[in-house]
Amino acid sequence: MKIAARLLWLAAAIFALAAPLFLERGSLNDLWNLAFAVILASAWNLLGGFAGQVSLGYSAFLGIGAYTTVLLSLKDVNPFVTLPLGALLAAVFSVVIGLPAFRLRGPYFTIATIGVAEAVRVCASTVEFTGGSSGVRMPAASFDFNTNYFAMIALAIVTVALAAWVKNSAFGVALAAIKQDIDAAEAVGVNSTRFKLAAHALSAAIVGVAGGLYAIDFQYIAPASVFDFRLSLSIVLMPIIGGVGTVAGPLFGALIVNTLQIKLLSMPALRDSFLFVYGGLLIVVMLFEPQGFVGVGRRLRRLVHA
Amino acid sequence: MTSVLLNTLLAAGLYATMAYGLAIIYGVMRIINLAHAGVMMLGAYVAFALFTRFALDPFVSLVVVAPLFFLFGVVLYAAIGRRVAGAGATPSIESLLVLFGVWLVLQNFAYVIWTGDTQSILTAYTMKSIKVLGVRLGVPSVFVFLASVASLVFLNVLLKRTYLGKAIRAVTQNRDAALLYGVNANRISAVAFGLGSAFAGVAGAMLATLMAFTPDFGRSFLLKAFCIIVLGGMESVTGVAVGALVLAALENGLAAWTPVPTSLQDAVSFALLFVALVAFPQGLPGLFARFERRSAIR
Amino acid sequence: MLEVRRLSKRFGGLLALSSVSFDVGEGDVFGIIGPNGAGKTTLFSCLVGALRPTSGQVRFRGERIDRLSNPAVVKRGIVRTHQIVRPFRAMSVTENVAVAAYFGAGRRRGADAERRVRDVLERTALADVSGASAATLTIGQLKRLEIARALATEPRVICLDEVMGGLNPAEIVGAMNLIRAIRDSGVTVLMIEHHVHAVVGVSNRILVLNFGETIAEGAPQEVLRNPAVVAAYLGDDVRTEGD
Repeated sequence: MKIAARLLWLAAAIFALAAPLFLERGSLNDLWNLAFAVILASAWNLLGGFAGQVSLGYSAFLGIGAYTTVLLSLKDVNPFVTLPLGALLAAVFSVVIGLPAFRLRGPYFTIATIGVAEAVRVCASTVEFTGGSSGVRMPAASFDFNTNYFAMIALAIVTVALAAWVKNSAFGVALAAIKQDIDAAEAVGVNSTRFKLAAHALSAAIVGVAGGLYAIDFQYIAPASVFDFRLSLSIVLMPIIGGVGTVAGPLFGALIVNTLQIKLLSMPALRDSFLFVYGGLLIVVMLFEPQGFVGVGRRLRRLVHA
Repeated sequence: MTSVLLNTLLAAGLYATMAYGLAIIYGVMRIINLAHAGVMMLGAYVAFALFTRFALDPFVSLVVVAPLFFLFGVVLYAAIGRRVAGAGATPSIESLLVLFGVWLVLQNFAYVIWTGDTQSILTAYTMKSIKVLGVRLGVPSVFVFLASVASLVFLNVLLKRTYLGKAIRAVTQNRDAALLYGVNANRISAVAFGLGSAFAGVAGAMLATLMAFTPDFGRSFLLKAFCIIVLGGMESVTGVAVGALVLAALENGLAAWTPVPTSLQDAVSFALLFVALVAFPQGLPGLFARFERRSAIR
Repeated sequence: MLEVRRLSKRFGGLLALSSVSFDVGEGDVFGIIGPNGAGKTTLFSCLVGALRPTSGQVRFRGERIDRLSNPAVVKRGIVRTHQIVRPFRAMSVTENVAVAAYFGAGRRRGADAERRVRDVLERTALADVSGASAATLTIGQLKRLEIARALATEPRVICLDEVMGGLNPAEIVGAMNLIRAIRDSGVTVLMIEHHVHAVVGVSNRILVLNFGETIAEGAPQEVLRNPAVVAAYLGDDVRTEGD
């Protein structure tokens, strides 16, 4: 990576970590939300962008992480200790789904993931031990904003660093080959199932931890919020708009979608139009620049250099 | 037992109509149409609007709904479908996501016009029931079944007797060969999209007579429709009908004979979809096929 | 080294391969010829695990491999090229070959892998386009890229599927030389070809398939004189001089 880019990443990280020193609570909340979005988008991108397997079921992993944290906290386990457990459960679940699902190609895999996520949501709404459709609440006094903020920022930094590492490793090369031509990849020795499962598990684990942090912050979770299909949708939207398959893409996407959301919510006339916007963006991006924001940037750069 | 059988039959008719709209678009264009859910939802709302504005009976309004949505489909194809038609053996992710985007836009459209409140169509006969073979069946359900059968018969005639229908079947089975024989891909695709939307709209309108709905309601039906076309293959109306019967039988059987609560029924359908996708890539007909199409040489 | 016993492959009602048996010795250049649709590519697919045979066995250095997946077979040392080339179009030539170097039988990493990639690119005359995107190559270069990728996996056996298809006579000579060089480097070669002169020029044994069945097997000269082969495939006007 070029020096200038590296410095930029470092500056952003430092800014985010030092923010509590000079920003107010409101802005810190925004940063927290942005970090959350970045984590989800970057994690999804490992499988969806790098390997090209589009899953519309990531809400399942978020929910698993969230529920693990809440349910264990209610049994007096330290919330932050529950995070790795949530990650593990999410990862295991991803393998259980992945083993059959990765036999499917392209859009069929996508549809299968929609089915799974919906099934999980319905189950969580019905089963008693997860509190049914009314959800569960964290035990009182488990919330300290600063710790939670740092945890989220730290996770964001780790996730992005991980994505960069994967992209430049042999693992990343395998994923890229799988994305382009899975049969050709297998023909030169890439065990595609193993790599897909690995990418899936890694991203599921990260999303699981994010789910736990979400639960700690929001204190109250219910199937309608954490297992919602719209959540799966926005998780996918961000890296696609920003640029799948790149490290910076999910960040741009998170920034764009987050900002849009804030702007839309603040204008009463447009408050209910986010589906228009999401849908419209998706259509435009897919039709005209499947590489998203990063792709547009590349085109502009080529124009300038020509 | 008779009750389960009859209810299965009624459900299957509706499911088949719902699924066929999806199947025809996939078969001809190799596109997975996620907007199908949105069109179904819109069908429900259009029937609702016609009912509340003009006191038009929802079943009578099908006569209006079908051509209206056919037109809608053709327009949608011209605007978007053309650019994303899948050329390869597997549908593209881009087409999937574009139509997904269309679905979202349609949802928002419905929210804006009709709000997110739950709506329903209450006709004079909505609550009535009749006795058939000793079983009480809701009158709307019976009408829905009859309308479904009518539309599927129409479809069958269209496919078997007209040039258009034969062209559609040809492109579904072997696109390249059909093109070589002079089939106009664009026109056929536009018609397929139109037909698919028409069926979706009609299915949605029928669903509106059976249950309350919100702009969000297409999703579980979409997944059921997928389940059906995966199970039944999409080469023929019969295949879809078989898939619809299997799904309806499973749902009704579970509801009647096992303690699985109705709230989990949807989860069962989704699980079935998953299993079907993984275990029967060629659909049930594929299991019995004597002449499998040769898969691409690897 | 490679033993194929009664290999059959059925696709629904179509029997693509019918009880095919043959042996390939280490260091052989084993040619496979036959009319289109005879099952040659299907044979290769079954050998490397891209397709699962309906029945029969394949033994490689004593181990049964007919039930293994494609990547597993590649890791054991058998690799194939595709008749219709399948490069990774969004990657450069070097990156294409690197995938194979990383995940093939050689399992190379880092500088070691880089060296291997450079070596292979030189042997296949692709060194000067190493940085180019695979999407910009000519068909001749793409064919060489297929071979380069296969070689980068460090195979013991390489299965070349019609690598000479679409090449002009000069390129064919170059391909034949490359095949000889591959053999000389210790890799056993199986090759499907329609250019009979070329096959005869490099092979020491030939198998002839028609409708999924073996109709002849043996030294090139014998096979070409076999009346069944002449009737099914060659026609009467064939010169057997290497070319």
